[in-house]
Amino acid sequence: MSKPLIVGAVAYTPNVVNIWEGMRGYFADGPAPMDFVLFSNYGSLVDALLDGTLDIAWNTNLAWVRTVGRTQGACRALAMRDTDAVFQTLFVARPGSGLSGLADLKGRRLALGSRDSAQAAILPVHYLGEAGLGADEVELVRINSDVGKHGDTGRSELDALRAVLDDRADAAALGINTWEAIGREELMPGAFEVFWESPTYSHCNFTALPRLSEERTRPWVERLFAMDWDNPEHRPILEMEGLRQWVPPRLAGYDSLFEAVRTQGISDRW
Amino acid sequence: MVILDLVERIGTVADGATVTVPLDPADGALVAAWCARTGNELVDVVDGVATVRRGRGPDPFAELSPWQLPGTRLWMYTNFDCNLACDYCCVRSSPHARRRALGADRVRRLATEAAAAGVSELILTGGEPLLLPDIDDLVAACTAALPTTLLTNGMLFRGRRLDALRRMDPARLALQISLDSPEPEPHDRHRGRGTWQRAVDGIRLARAEGFRVRVAATLPPEQLHTLEPFHAFLDGLGIAREDQVIRPLARRGVAESGLELTVESLIPEVTVTAEGVYWHPVSADHDDQLVTRELFPLEAAIEEVRRRFAADRRRADAAAQWFPCA
Ligand code: SF4
Repeated sequence: MSKPLIVGAVAYTPNVVNIWEGMRGYFADGPAPMDFVLFSNYGSLVDALLDGTLDIAWNTNLAWVRTVGRTQGACRALAMRDTDAVFQTLFVARPGSGLSGLADLKGRRLALGSRDSAQAAILPVHYLGEAGLGADEVELVRINSDVGKHGDTGRSELDALRAVLDDRADAAALGINTWEAIGREELMPGAFEVFWESPTYSHCNFTALPRLSEERTRPWVERLFAMDWDNPEHRPILEMEGLRQWVPPRLAGYDSLFEAVRTQGISDRW
Repeated sequence: MVILDLVERIGTVADGATVTVPLDPADGALVAAWCARTGNELVDVVDGVATVRRGRGPDPFAELSPWQLPGTRLWMYTNFDCNLACDYCCVRSSPHARRRALGADRVRRLATEAAAAGVSELILTGGEPLLLPDIDDLVAACTAALPTTLLTNGMLFRGRRLDALRRMDPARLALQISLDSPEPEPHDRHRGRGTWQRAVDGIRLARAEGFRVRVAATLPPEQLHTLEPFHAFLDGLGIAREDQVIRPLARRGVAESGLELTVESLIPEVTVTAEGVYWHPVSADHDDQLVTRELFPLEAAIEEVRRRFAADRRRADAAAQWFPCA
């Protein structure tokens, strides 16, 4: 049996242990066994990938952009969740707030999540720019309650929603996963409504460096794609990880974040 | 806002673990809807605090074999009086106990509703059912609906009671007769002098009348290892091995020692008496295990037993989460 591939991830919740134990168990029976190492933040994860501690990193989109930057584009994405290929940022407000598009945010207060969250801070600022709103035309209420974890905990997005409820902000930007988690507008009618949806973009992916050969990654990726939602043994792992199917990476989905990082002057390092 | 708190708290624990959030009673339905939608489980709401498990807990019924599913069998206590006064009787029966008869009308209705509710076997017990003058009518009502077992001490197969037995249908009725040992002691010590011999005679007679006979033995836990001579004796009486039911003594009724059985540790066996529906036949005389006073509709009572079983298991699982084994 070949040496296990070491996959790194960030432990943004204790449940991450269950997810990766499940993954390790799934790969143990196949041709490409894996083990995992957990980090407390994406800075350390990417450092460990670059210094060779890890074979593969489960990166957020910002971690991917930074890995591309620090490897001059030599790294490669192996796979992502179906949900990663169609991620979105939503702008929400209380019903009746008079907001019906990004332009309406002029002169209003927008709550953003942690500054290293692509979905709740970096891309929202990018979308404001695309909508022609200058840096000082919207009052940004920044809530950095989970910095280091790239917004994975959802904590800062929940705090942004609380800011809207408490009238400390007129609107909040959040990832579609958090919006789903609170039950969209259906569970609490009258609490929040979406007034603008971003185009879809790509979120997490498995990232490897050229050092790891295709021969090593191919059987692992094939086995990954063989996880089956209809198989009762695979299903719990997929449910915990929030997907129905692993898919090839959609690289075009990172273009907006590359541009946002460039225009906002966000560094490759931490 | 409770949903934001829940999303945040659930995010900080692993699958299977539980969190609690203060809950305004007005938000109860909202929390239930959120759990249903997001695949988490509302364990309970007590004193304004909701306990929610991340993910779905194990299905409490999935751990049970099909024959253990609550509602597979229906036990009916036909009466509580008995010609014996065994010292461990779990319902304190004796010649002096009040009869508290269920009666032919209720037995008939229960049998019919049981068949409709998916019950697959009826079990008649007491007390000593053969003390009832209309026991053959009760049995006929049951066997017309479902295969039935009649529990008896086997000592009354004489005269009009033997005639009643002969009117019962051996194709639809099995008899279950208690015998505690392969020789008179300790059976006679617990049940009365001479009772062992009369029970053995009763077993032989019932077999000769063409009935399938199951022998049930109630043993103190420390005697459970002395089983082989017992099985050999029952083999000699022509009792099939699967009909040799040997069980530990329950600590209920007048029994002074035995295993402690509680609602939480007993898989329910829906049990009806003249007083109500109980969790299990060993506790049919104990109001701490009363499920409902309403016998009808029977299906609702069975549903309530299932609901309580599922809730108890989920609560026990949640409590176990608080004390992880080191
Ligand atoms: S154990 Fe059975 S035979 Fe003995 S007193 Fe109780 S009901 Fe009667």
